[in-house]
Amino acid sequence: MTLAGDTLTISVTVNGETTELTVETRRMLSDVIRDDLGLTGTHLGCEHGVCGACTILLDGRPARSCLMLAAQADGSEITTIEGLASTDGTMHPVQQAMHDSHGFQCAFCASGFMLTTVALLAAEPKPSRERIRRELSGNLCRCTGYQSIIDGVETAVALIDTEGSDR
Amino acid sequence: MSADHQTSGLGFVGQSVKRVEDQRLLTGNGRYVADINPPGVLHAAFVRSPFPHATIDRINVSAARRAPGVVAVMTAAEINAITNPFPPFLMLDGMYTPLFWALSDDRVRHIGDPVALVLAESRHLAEDAAELVEVDYTALEPVASIADALRPTSRQVWPKADGNLLYDSSTEYGDVDAVFAAADRVITERLSCQRQSNQPMETRGTVIEVDPRTGHLTVHSATQTSHVLRWVLAALTEKRSMGSSIAAFARNKDRRTAFIAGARSFMATNKDSLGNQDNSGARSQFRKDRSFPIHMQRIGLGLLAKDDYPTVLAQDIGGGFGAKGSVHREDVALAAAAIALGRSVKWIEDRVENLTDGGHAREEDLTVSIAVDHDGTMRGLKVDLIVDQGAYPGFPVGAGFTTQIMQVMFPGSYRFEAFGMRSRVVATNKGKYVAYRGPWANETWARERMVDIVARALRMSPVEVRLRNMIGESEMPTHMITGPTIDETMSVRKTLERALQVVDLDAFERERAEAAEQGRHLGIGFACYHEAAPGPPDYMDSVNAGSDALTAEVARATIEADGSVVVYTSQMPHGQSHETTYSQVAADELGVSIDDVKVVWGDTRRTPFSLIGTGGSRGGPLGGGAIKRSSREVRRMLIEEAARMLEASVDDIEIVGGNIHVAGVPSRGLTFAEVAGAVTATDPSAHPFDATVTYNGKGDGGWSCATHVCFVDIDLDTGKVAIPRYVVVEDCGPIINPAIVDGQVRGGVAQGIGAVLYESSIYDESANLQATTYMDYLIPTTMEIPDIEIHHIETLSPGENDFRGVGEGGMIGAPAAITNAIEDALAGRGARVTTQYLPPTTILELAGVIRPD
Repeated sequence: MTLAGDTLTISVTVNGETTELTVETRRMLSDVIRDDLGLTGTHLGCEHGVCGACTILLDGRPARSCLMLAAQADGSEITTIEGLASTDGTMHPVQQAMHDSHGFQCAFCASGFMLTTVALLAAEPKPSRERIRRELSGNLCRCTGYQSIIDGVETAVALIDTEGSDR
Repeated sequence: MSADHQTSGLGFVGQSVKRVEDQRLLTGNGRYVADINPPGVLHAAFVRSPFPHATIDRINVSAARRAPGVVAVMTAAEINAITNPFPPFLMLDGMYTPLFWALSDDRVRHIGDPVALVLAESRHLAEDAAELVEVDYTALEPVASIADALRPTSRQVWPKADGNLLYDSSTEYGDVDAVFAAADRVITERLSCQRQSNQPMETRGTVIEVDPRTGHLTVHSATQTSHVLRWVLAALTEKRSMGSSIAAFARNKDRRTAFIAGARSFMATNKDSLGNQDNSGARSQFRKDRSFPIHMQRIGLGLLAKDDYPTVLAQDIGGGFGAKGSVHREDVALAAAAIALGRSVKWIEDRVENLTDGGHAREEDLTVSIAVDHDGTMRGLKVDLIVDQGAYPGFPVGAGFTTQIMQVMFPGSYRFEAFGMRSRVVATNKGKYVAYRGPWANETWARERMVDIVARALRMSPVEVRLRNMIGESEMPTHMITGPTIDETMSVRKTLERALQVVDLDAFERERAEAAEQGRHLGIGFACYHEAAPGPPDYMDSVNAGSDALTAEVARATIEADGSVVVYTSQMPHGQSHETTYSQVAADELGVSIDDVKVVWGDTRRTPFSLIGTGGSRGGPLGGGAIKRSSREVRRMLIEEAARMLEASVDDIEIVGGNIHVAGVPSRGLTFAEVAGAVTATDPSAHPFDATVTYNGKGDGGWSCATHVCFVDIDLDTGKVAIPRYVVVEDCGPIINPAIVDGQVRGGVAQGIGAVLYESSIYDESANLQATTYMDYLIPTTMEIPDIEIHHIETLSPGENDFRGVGEGGMIGAPAAITNAIEDALAGRGARVTTQYLPPTTILELAGVIRPD
């Protein structure tokens, strides 16, 4: 059996926009996001599910797009890093907080960390530092030693809290 | 963004200004090499050796060539026919550097050695076809360790070497035998460090874009050294006879003129240093390899004849830690393929390749002896170092040059009356050796480990031994026994004294005793070092006479017709936030906001030449120093013109917030655009203000210093080492951006923690690599790296430029502090830590909980 020529049509909602895509059945979701949709903010660090750089939100939950076939995403709602900031360029509070805290250096891992953080704060708006460490332990960063990223999550908590009370 | 960057009136340097890089990098708008897809690009996959050591008997590519989407399958027969070998660079007396080619032709020398290149319409199809390439190998006896390499009967990795010994050099400073005979005791230990890997989160990658009209190559690459990549690709893809090169050069007058001017300027800039060079390295290379001068001449003449060098365009890079400072064989193979096919090509390495052939480092054995008196005075030091370089040296810098730095820095901040060192480099069947963040760092690990071993032998505290032997301010200026000047910037003692104020040793001892009652084992470890970043003016000549010429950094600053400030650096940022820090430095020099400064990097058409790029903690001291001086020069030009326009003396002009005015009369000021416009009005072709400055740190310089203190809490049920507290007291002089400096320190410490507790590029006894995924090569996570407590001392240097480097220091100090803390925790059980790598089983063995098998 040769799969090389096999294709499949799927429907996905990416950053709020619903698209139909014809993809080879063997292709990974990460490849389709990067190559077919041109959303190159999703990065590939290890392509075997350990580093977490390719993390996206799949129906609101963090998922490794390098371990999922694109076919498996049929009918789901996907958020990538490009979907976080407002259309006018205003950063999402998590992005703003990472900026304020000098969260990242080379930032190759940043999208994965920030999308994991968005999911964490949706589930637990005021996590303890220990909880933050645990939740982010599936994402690797080689530059920062993590402290500034964890500080960034704490800053995001404060920022979202202030924004909430302003409203 | 501008809200972040209000002028404080105090200047930007010294403030934790938020990063200007973030707007693009945090929103997914970075442009990393994998994001670049020229029209019609072909995707590459390399066929790599599954054997550590074997001859290649036959390669059959016919099935691969017929596979769907495949455009070409190229082996050494095609690639090496149109390329030159990597020649020896930095040759040292007593060293042999093998010549090697982009693809292996008759023999493979490590798991992952590239033997063929497949180019197809997609990466999937290229990888499918790569599996169809049939290679017949005959396995040879592998050389799997330093011990194997030194065995006279072992199979030679490089036929022209002396066995597998590539370098053997001994140096003595002072009368080593006399000092060792006179001292009360000699304490000796054999220490060994495991093979490690840099592991940036972004793997290697290169996209070569071919202009279909002109054939010009634009090379997008994850490189730390864009200009070196450009020159190496130009040099190694120009294969032609010497006669035709000479004829072409003779015909091309522009090229001749440019070459002569360039050579004159280089000689003039580096006159003193070049005069010191000796040729003993080239002579020892020639004794082993008579062919190398022919290749060198052919390459050199080819460069003169070549009329179109590639452009290297490197933008956002996902970390490097030294690994991307080498030019890799794959880059040359890709460039050759792009030229041969006239098509753009793209290669993005996968993680398995990166762990295998993306660069290894630090596998070193060190036998260290210290001659010491009973009162703890260390008098003599002897070191026998052996580096396992694997099969291929990194290019242009292999292990030999690193041993020279290790030698100069080994005595550290202690007074020794005599020091002797033997350095050897061996070849084995392992992945190539590259620089990894503080490539010489095992001098600090071994020395600081030994200080603790000496202290324990003398029943003294490790802190007491350090303080007794460490050079203090009252003795300055003086010299390290290896040559370099020690001035007040060698502030290691100050960092140690501050560390002792920060950590309460008495409180720790009470805590240790309480923990012991609960069966927990606490320990504390110290490590002290100073690093040449950039080092005193005589530093590079102590390492290798004449190599000063390598270290100059060039920067250009301009004020454009619209008044904007643009600075051009030859640094190659890959996480260190150069764009932010250089904006800070230039903005302060010019009296503008950092939002008014644009930093240009990575584009060889626009940035000044550098032989290094980013590495060696140069970004602050040399890169920053060059930016500061070029900005200052352009300010001088601007003020001169403004003074003329304002009919005032240049001495009376000041610039505040972009307003150029006579001091005290800001209301009658001029903007940058007005002054620049006045120049372009009279001569529209003029580039209003433009200054290029070469800066090598001479006369400024100085040392970057730190003391690290690590606390450990060891669980002897599991062998897990927890680090409840980690303190760094560092002195890199005046800090440009504290948040960025702290980030560099923490990142380095995190890699040091990984090196001691988690990371090993381990090979078995047959030279098979055992760690080829992130399930085997363990990068520490948020659960393993604690918050790092950082304290700063900002010692000023006597020179004008005070910035000192901080990129590597975290990793230089950490392995020693951690291993010292572990031995301290287990000292009651008789533990002696002699390896840098201490995974849980080793911890349990050291503690006597389990027996080594």
